[in-house]
Amino acid sequence: MAQNRNKLIELFISNLANSIVHEILERAIDREEIADKYRKEIKNSFEVSKTYRNKINPINSPLPAGDSLFIKNRIKKRVERELNLRISKGYKNIDLSLVDKEIEGYLKKLEVL
Amino acid sequence: MDQVYVPKKRTGFNIGDYVIIKPLKEESGKDLKKLKKLYFYGVSDLEKIKLEIIEKIRGVIEQSIEFENFIITGSFLERGFDFRDLDILIISNEKVNGNKIKKTITEKIGINPDIIVLNIKTLIKGLSTDPLYQMMLSKYVSKKRLIFNIKTKINYKILDLHLLKSKALIDGFDFLNGSEKYQLTRNMIAISLFLENKKISKVSVDRKIKELFKTEIKDIKDNLINKKEFLKEYKKIYKETFEKIMKGVKRENGSKQK
Repeated sequence: MAQNRNKLIELFISNLANSIVHEILERAIDREEIADKYRKEIKNSFEVSKTYRNKINPINSPLPAGDSLFIKNRIKKRVERELNLRISKGYKNIDLSLVDKEIEGYLKKLEVL
Repeated sequence: MDQVYVPKKRTGFNIGDYVIIKPLKEESGKDLKKLKKLYFYGVSDLEKIKLEIIEKIRGVIEQSIEFENFIITGSFLERGFDFRDLDILIISNEKVNGNKIKKTITEKIGINPDIIVLNIKTLIKGLSTDPLYQMMLSKYVSKKRLIFNIKTKINYKILDLHLLKSKALIDGFDFLNGSEKYQLTRNMIAISLFLENKKISKVSVDRKIKELFKTEIKDIKDNLINKKEFLKEYKKIYKETFEKIMKGVKRENGSKQK
């Protein structure tokens, strides 16, 4: 059971990190290039994260402090790694200052914090 | 004896059914509208019940809004009934409430479609910059025939966003079902073909998947693939595709600064 919970947490982290990277990269692109379709992609990815969150107890209240801190740190590490990888390859306009704010926002929305 | 030709893909009656032949001019305007044929592209065969669903969808759209064309696509057009998605693209220059149409279709027909409302300019832009649009429109049913002269224009940052989606397979191989694995692989391969300026269609993407992964599509969908071998190839293609995109992003940045 504990193993399942850990796996669910890993999946939750991976999907949510992808949503956040997507969100930040979207802002690095000229707005006019983005059709509704791309926003739908973020929504889909977020919905997947939500499905995993809804399987991690406690469902209707924030996770224990240890878990939420672990998740927050892991997501931050993943998001920064993906974004820095792009920056190192010459991708411009990526705003790293958005990372903390986005993570905080998403985790609150999903009742992790 | 005179002959009457009827479309092979039709709603309402099967081979061997008795029918009445009536002149169109005697029909009411509403019925005439119903009889207008649909345009099929890349769809060789479709079950009768699906044609009836398409007719009903057309009815809902025509009653609800002013539009130029509608396009039905997605796995709904594949054989069988285990389809994942039914995408409806509504082409209109007017402001259209897609959510309202989605709700009506769900209530009246019991199917939950994805609706994208866009004008023709946006559709053409999508087709020239987005491999998924190209793949989506390699098979469709529409009210009117679509005629385009598309020049592929690569937007590397948008491709990067698309490719990011396929990363989920590397992280979650053990948790994804076969159909999800196939979708993510297809997404990655479509992007890789697009970067090589190759034609994107479901058939061409599937052929490439079979060639690269040395496996049948059915085995991927049935989740019967060898994890080690599949992931090894997948990671390699992902990395190569990502590197190509990043080179393109760098070039795009450079040309903007000049």
